[in-house]
Amino acid sequence: MKKKISILVLFIILGAVLVACNSDEDTSATEEEISGEITVWVHPYTSDSNAEEAMWEEIVASYEEEFDATVTIETIPWSNRDQKILTALAANNGPDVFYAIPDQMPQYADEGMLLELDPYLEDNEMDDFVDSALVSTKWQDKTYGLPILQEAYTFFYNVDVVKAIGKDPENLPTTWSEFEEWAKAAKEEGYYAYSYQGGGSMNGTLYPFIWQAGGKVITEDDEVMINNVESVKAFEFVNNMYEKNWIPEDSITAMNHDAIWNAGEMLAVLGSGISLTNLQESGLDFVIAPPLKNKEQKTYGTTGMFVVPTNSDNPNAAAEFVKTVTNAENQRKFNTITQYIPTRESAKNIFDDQQYLKQLSEYTQYALPGVIHPKGRNIMPMIQAEVQTMMEGEKTPQEAADAAAEAIEAEIAK
Amino acid sequence: MITLNNVDKINEEMEYHYKKNLSLKDRLKRNKDSYSNFNKPKQPFKERVKKQWDRNAIVYIFLVPTLIHFLIFQVFPFAFSFVLTFMDWKVIGDPEFVGFKHWIAFINDKLAWRAIWNTILFSIYYIVPTMALGLILALIINSGVKAAGLFKGIFFLPVVTSFVIIAGIWGWLFRGTESGMVNYLLSFLGIDTQLFLADSGQALMVLAGLSIFKVAGSTMIYYFAGLQSVDRQLYEAARIDGATPLRIFWTITFPLLKPIHFYVAIITTIGSFQIFDSTFLLTGGGPNYSTTTIVFYLYQQGFAGLNLSYGAVLSYVLFFIILVISLIQRKYLGQETNYY
Repeated sequence: MKKKISILVLFIILGAVLVACNSDEDTSATEEEISGEITVWVHPYTSDSNAEEAMWEEIVASYEEEFDATVTIETIPWSNRDQKILTALAANNGPDVFYAIPDQMPQYADEGMLLELDPYLEDNEMDDFVDSALVSTKWQDKTYGLPILQEAYTFFYNVDVVKAIGKDPENLPTTWSEFEEWAKAAKEEGYYAYSYQGGGSMNGTLYPFIWQAGGKVITEDDEVMINNVESVKAFEFVNNMYEKNWIPEDSITAMNHDAIWNAGEMLAVLGSGISLTNLQESGLDFVIAPPLKNKEQKTYGTTGMFVVPTNSDNPNAAAEFVKTVTNAENQRKFNTITQYIPTRESAKNIFDDQQYLKQLSEYTQYALPGVIHPKGRNIMPMIQAEVQTMMEGEKTPQEAADAAAEAIEAEIAK
Repeated sequence: MITLNNVDKINEEMEYHYKKNLSLKDRLKRNKDSYSNFNKPKQPFKERVKKQWDRNAIVYIFLVPTLIHFLIFQVFPFAFSFVLTFMDWKVIGDPEFVGFKHWIAFINDKLAWRAIWNTILFSIYYIVPTMALGLILALIINSGVKAAGLFKGIFFLPVVTSFVIIAGIWGWLFRGTESGMVNYLLSFLGIDTQLFLADSGQALMVLAGLSIFKVAGSTMIYYFAGLQSVDRQLYEAARIDGATPLRIFWTITFPLLKPIHFYVAIITTIGSFQIFDSTFLLTGGGPNYSTTTIVFYLYQQGFAGLNLSYGAVLSYVLFFIILVISLIQRKYLGQETNYY
């Protein structure tokens, strides 16, 4: 018996020693490896490069105070950023951290290009992040990025036009049927109801209506849902608007309708925080409505995040930088300068004194970041082409949706 | 007396005798040279290299940086992208050999063929009007018009202006609503407004118009240079013979610009097959793929779709198309071209 107890005690001691050694190793590894240098690629988020430079200096200083690593911030133009990132990563000469959007993330993650961040996030107060922002950072239940900014697109109404059609700017449409009633009234008074920019991204055209109708484009499991009953309602909604001339004739490929809006000939336009400056400068009196609802209240809003490529020379330092740059304090700094909406609830108080941004920040809970799927960007032109064909009158909404589904399935099968 | 009517005949006769005599001389000289070279003792290779080096060393030294640049940034990517067409490459990591998978995918890709067809259509809308407009502009500034320099500057302005700005202006001109300038003018004249960029049948032509507007100025410069090199005596002789300006143009100017036609045809063809910016900026490839060109599709596949290998296949398809067209042009336009 005594011998058995001795063996048990010995095992317990050995176990304790091993655990201690392991934890020592982990701690020391983390501490040791957070050193050296990392390069971070950011973009010009505003037109004020001096303010951004000062902001990055502060954020980098807060990181370098905590860790024994140095950070080089490199500002990369928005144009051709895909090519720049891919070329740099392919040459094994890329950044250790870079800015990505939800369209890119699943595609890169699916190709094994991004470092999984979950092992680094235990101490990162993840509950503080807005759920709709975290959606875009995950692929197949793994986290590949941390969000720093969010936005929510919703309708901005021209107050003069609202009054001219006999409606109340205090009670803006919240449902499809209410919007259609307003659109009809606007057309009767010689106004366009809305700016549908068919040449732009599906995120700003068809997708929000699909989500509002309770539909989906495609699931993570490759199930194509763009032609189910709910999604087809969105095709019908757009087609109806076009057929009744509630939206301009060139909506099929239009990239903007600024001239019509600025001339005061349009009831509503889709916008987010980045539209505010232009809208305020236009001198038009406008009000912001909540995202529309049919079956669900949804809208589009991108999420900007920082990610780490798998071929980073210093992944630990890079992951810690991603955590630092997206902490509440740094999000306040970043979003105060860039006028985007923070993705941490605790940082949203920066807009308490700003009427429009405060209102928009409340809508981020309804914002979806697009189609989170590795083929998300490949399938967009296919869907766009079918919607355009429908608007040209060559296909019915159902036929266009079916053709889009067929094209998506073929793309997935590649 | 030489008159315009018999100029061609005299030229033909002179050319015949010239060629005949030259070929006989050539033959004799070649024979003589070859016999003398045959009898000469051949220099050792090293000596020949040294002699060449001594003679041209400075030229080779100056060529080295360009050669290195050419090898790294032209030859290597060209070769690498060809290898890539037989690989699956995830950007990070090693490429995986997949044989002709991407080439077969291309053959079965209806959209790729549609993009090629759109590009050919674009070329039809673009090449001849660009050449014609360039020539007309060159004739205007070469005609002795007052303030020719000012006109040259005005015509050349679109060439040096950013494509984004030009596209913005074009978008404003051809908006499919009455807020578009052209539609405003049409409605002012009582003509039905057009959808332009939102119409499958019109969009590609409108984009071709944008490219013509952008490029005609540089074509003008090539033609202007060509016009300057035409012998003035020919014009004087023609005028003395009482030839009309139109006759002078078709009989003297146009044929003598043949090398310029050839050069401009080649570069406008290459330019038309590489069209991307206008589609990207104004239509996004729509409506219904009607403006999806081969380079735009390549961009979508290669970079937006992260399918670099397939993008490489499309780039090689584009390369072969341009190569074949250039060879055909060279055969039919470049033959018997005299470079003055």
